[in-house]
Amino acid sequence: MIEVKALASSSKGNCYHITDGKTPLLLEAGIKFKEIQRKLDFQTSKIKACLITHEHKDHCAGVPDMIKNGKNCYMSKGTAEAIGVEGHRVKPIKSKEPFTVGTWTILPFEVEHDVAEPLGFLLANEDGDKLLFATDTYYIRYKFKGLTHILCECNYSLDILNKNIAAGRIPKVMKKRLLRSHFSLENVKEFLKANDLQKVREIWLLHLSDNNSDERRFKDEIQALTGKAVYVP
Amino acid sequence: MSQNKNELAMIKKDTVDVVAEKVKAFQENGDVHFPPSYSPQNAMKSAWLTLQGIQDKNKRPALEVCTRDSVANSLLDMVVQGLNPAKKQGYFIVYGNTLTFQRSYFGTMAVTKQVTGAKSIDAAVIYEGDEVDYEMKNSRIVNLTHKQKFGNINKENIIGAYATIVLQDGEVYQELMTIEELRKAWSKAQFWGKDQEKEKKGSTHDEFKQEMAKKSVINRACKKFLNSSNDSNLVLDHFNHTDEAAEEAQLEEEIQTNANGEIIDIEYNEPEQEQEPEQPSDQPDGDLEQAAMDFEQKEAQTTSGPNF
Repeated sequence: MIEVKALASSSKGNCYHITDGKTPLLLEAGIKFKEIQRKLDFQTSKIKACLITHEHKDHCAGVPDMIKNGKNCYMSKGTAEAIGVEGHRVKPIKSKEPFTVGTWTILPFEVEHDVAEPLGFLLANEDGDKLLFATDTYYIRYKFKGLTHILCECNYSLDILNKNIAAGRIPKVMKKRLLRSHFSLENVKEFLKANDLQKVREIWLLHLSDNNSDERRFKDEIQALTGKAVYVP
Repeated sequence: MSQNKNELAMIKKDTVDVVAEKVKAFQENGDVHFPPSYSPQNAMKSAWLTLQGIQDKNKRPALEVCTRDSVANSLLDMVVQGLNPAKKQGYFIVYGNTLTFQRSYFGTMAVTKQVTGAKSIDAAVIYEGDEVDYEMKNSRIVNLTHKQKFGNINKENIIGAYATIVLQDGEVYQELMTIEELRKAWSKAQFWGKDQEKEKKGSTHDEFKQEMAKKSVINRACKKFLNSSNDSNLVLDHFNHTDEAAEEAQLEEEIQTNANGEIIDIEYNEPEQEQEPEQPSDQPDGDLEQAAMDFEQKEAQTTSGPNF
């Protein structure tokens, strides 16, 4: 049984604690290690490793401290180079080459973001749970089988963004970048429709934009579409 | 056959007439003025002829696959800007089921001249060894002088390009781009590979580097000048809309084609097989070019998250 806890989920920082009861992992370390410790009541010694998707600070700010504290950090070579970390705690991984951490088998896959070598992760455990983690990607290239937990970005909605631009709250140039770097509500829906959701128990919508999203509406719409429990941390 | 003809006539009536009505209304309200040499009706006729030959990438006729809204919008974008596809001032391109009108740089120059009354728009390429001197005044380039020796001309030694827009009153607007900026602009094209740094041998950008450099700098000069010198008006709205519409249609098609495709999966492995990946031997090895690129990337990307 997977347990998910969001320690931070916004453009200011992303960090998610997941465990199958045996091997606790961190997905992203986009906040200071001290904050991670505080949010986990200083129970960080059990954390087996940390998986990092890409080099933006809101996803990796805590990495150097994680390494100092003896935590293995898994990331692509491109991401490690861009962050500027090395050493035996930095575990380079490649898209579509599965690896194992404790009781998890993990498959990294490439995602679509404007950085060096970004990844998403599919995690499976012995109980037959399957968790998908995908963030900072404007679409997902793949489909997945038998997912039980979906943790994916749902950054903005096109109509809210357009309204903000019309009102002058968001500069037009930002839209251009946003469209090719972050997951929109509209594209998240297409993704969910394309996948078999039979076994899905929880859907977590992550990394909502401060300006271009609407927590209540996103939750309601995804819940209505899927009939699943939807969480927006 | 006759049924096809009828259908085409119907589509034409539905779209061309609607656009023509709209344009007429704009003209009557004084929202748009065309130069005496421009006839919206003729431009639309020639666009309609062009459209009948346009196909999508699967060789299906554009008029069959594209939504009528997108056909009407692309025609409207063209006419309001006073452009004509017969003069190579723009092209109709299909993305998925969306038709877009994309201005060529001749078109961009034509709109700039029409809206600002510019007398001339020219560009020149700067080669290694050329003497270029200019001052900055109020954040604008002024008094640009450029001395070139004939022997410097070599497309492999291009270090930049600049464009000059001369207005009616003799005022001059200039835009300057380094080769890096030019390449950055070229890299937005779809054929440009993800990690490609230079023009591929034999590509248009390689073979006609001078012309491509001039084209890019003229495009940038016109767009910046138009957007900075004019209050928002209908022409400008459509000028910017064509770019946005094309970009959004491209994106839409990219997502339609690539998203949610192949299934990837893993099965759970027994935990005792836990592998500690070995220390990689392919750590950064101080490759200079790579390092420079990484530095640039790091500068741009790791200072802060994209604060949306």
